[in-house]
Amino acid sequence: MSDHKCTCSEQPLVPTVVEVIDIIDRTPDVKSFFVRNVDGNGVPFQVAPGQCAMISHLPIGESMISCTWQEEQEHLEFAIKRVGLMTDELHQIEVGQKIGVRGPYGNGFPTEACKGKDMVFIAGGIGLAPLRSFIKYCFKHREDYGKITILYGSRSKADLCFKEEILDLWPKEPNTEVFVTIDNAEAEWDGHVGFVPSYLEELNPSSNGAIAVVCGPPIMIKFVLQSLEKMGYNDEQVITTLEMRMKCGIGKCGRCNIGSEFICLDGPVYYLKQLRDLPPEW
Amino acid sequence: MKVLSKAKLETVLNTLNENTEVFVPMQKGVQSGYFTWKSFENGKDELMLDVLNVYHSPKNVVLPQTEKMYGIKSKGVEVNIDKTYEDNHPTLIFGARGCDVKGILAMDDVFLTRGYEDSFYKARRSNNIIIANACYNPGPNCFCNAMEVNPVDPVGADVIIRDAGDVYIWEAKSEKGEAITAQIASLLEEKDAKSPESKPFKQNVDYTGVAEKLKGMFEHPFWNKISEPCSNCGMCTYVCPSCYCFDIQVKMWGDEGYRFRAWDSCMYEEYSREAGGGNPRGAGKERFRNRFLHKLEFYKERYGTPLCTGCGRCIVVCPNDINIVKIIDAVKEAE
Repeated sequence: MSDHKCTCSEQPLVPTVVEVIDIIDRTPDVKSFFVRNVDGNGVPFQVAPGQCAMISHLPIGESMISCTWQEEQEHLEFAIKRVGLMTDELHQIEVGQKIGVRGPYGNGFPTEACKGKDMVFIAGGIGLAPLRSFIKYCFKHREDYGKITILYGSRSKADLCFKEEILDLWPKEPNTEVFVTIDNAEAEWDGHVGFVPSYLEELNPSSNGAIAVVCGPPIMIKFVLQSLEKMGYNDEQVITTLEMRMKCGIGKCGRCNIGSEFICLDGPVYYLKQLRDLPPEW
Repeated sequence: MKVLSKAKLETVLNTLNENTEVFVPMQKGVQSGYFTWKSFENGKDELMLDVLNVYHSPKNVVLPQTEKMYGIKSKGVEVNIDKTYEDNHPTLIFGARGCDVKGILAMDDVFLTRGYEDSFYKARRSNNIIIANACYNPGPNCFCNAMEVNPVDPVGADVIIRDAGDVYIWEAKSEKGEAITAQIASLLEEKDAKSPESKPFKQNVDYTGVAEKLKGMFEHPFWNKISEPCSNCGMCTYVCPSCYCFDIQVKMWGDEGYRFRAWDSCMYEEYSREAGGGNPRGAGKERFRNRFLHKLEFYKERYGTPLCTGCGRCIVVCPNDINIVKIIDAVKEAE
């Protein structure tokens, strides 16, 4: 976990200025920001699925955001929920705004180690953002992975992120099943209603040769992990990606530690087996 | 051997100060700490080379309490980072004790290893010289000997001076130290002098096995009782020679400003509070536990040595009598 390969500049805490080339409303409080180099050519760095970047609205502040997708040499996409001061200001910018990015940070998903496995992706709310990069990676390298099962839940229909993909595009992919649920019944919704963990147990995707990748609100993760255990998934078959408050992104500023691990540098992606060895602060 | 006559000390400091910013332990008003020799006011300030552990450690020389990082210009959609503020002007810490030198070495591990080199720290540290003052008479709260520090021969010093009465024995320990020695060669003398005899430590601390034992004690009930007096004031982190956590903030005046970093403290609730409101260490006890585990277990697991250097400052400044030595003892005794 500590064999980080340095892909950074000589000034890792100084961002690169990029241009926001598109902004899409994903939900009432989630927007996708697409960025590329200010000269119009390419992106400042390549991001592997599950890695993050520090996004700077330069006069306001910085936040660590997972990169939801990278179209190589075209753009980076960050799906950002409005929750605090910096993300609130960011939601008010318009296309053409210059912002800062630095990264990529973190270890990313073990795309190699998962080859040949059936993949079960379980996400809640904005937790789909980091998983989406892995899901899209699997579709791009479809022959490397077995059956793909995606279970996604959110509070309401309006809060479903990446609707076109989850409702329309992904179910059409080969050997792929997509299940979507919302917390409470709505007039406009004829799909499943209920929480992710109970729906997961109902669907009961086989643990045989499978890897489950989980991301969502802490309470959802907690119950999903319990469900997976009940369903026969062992700790080496479950992967999650953590988040904590971060300032530097490079394992220096101190605050994102769990035990002797720094989530920004050694994580954010962990097998459950690794998390079991850490103090229960995740 | 080379010796520096105490009568020539001020001349030496003046000479070193010609092309280097020299920091010396002194009493300045109500504060004691490592202040610049340039700021020393005769008759008002007092040199404290004879005193163990002035209030502030010298960590501010390599990690200032606040430090500009880069300038920002922002107008409409246009934003520029117009300059960065890496500062590599020459600095010299004169008279640092072994515990404080170890604190800086610990920060070297944090800022200069594990994949990323912090350019701001690297700039300051690359042109920084440490002249350490060997300790022979431990103070009432000193326990550096238990925390992998050699007080009479501190690792990481460029020069070591030893108090031998009217003179300091002067011993260069690195290339940088040799260069400084050459610079003041005319002020040093060749003379025999005897190092003082080491007096015993008044604190009897045994850190052996503590890091390993703590690994299984995260949820031990002793944390409840031992953390109870803590008011999370952060004094311990402020005076600690190895507490390095920092915050990054921005200051703008209209269209222009800069991003800077500042010392932060793991004792504060905001330190790890997330934008969504969650906080993995929202309770005072959780922050207390994290700090002492960082000092005694986590850092050692990551870098191979404890992050506490045994200087005893936190014991002195704590308004609630929390004592890291008693915590180490409690860990040893815990079942």
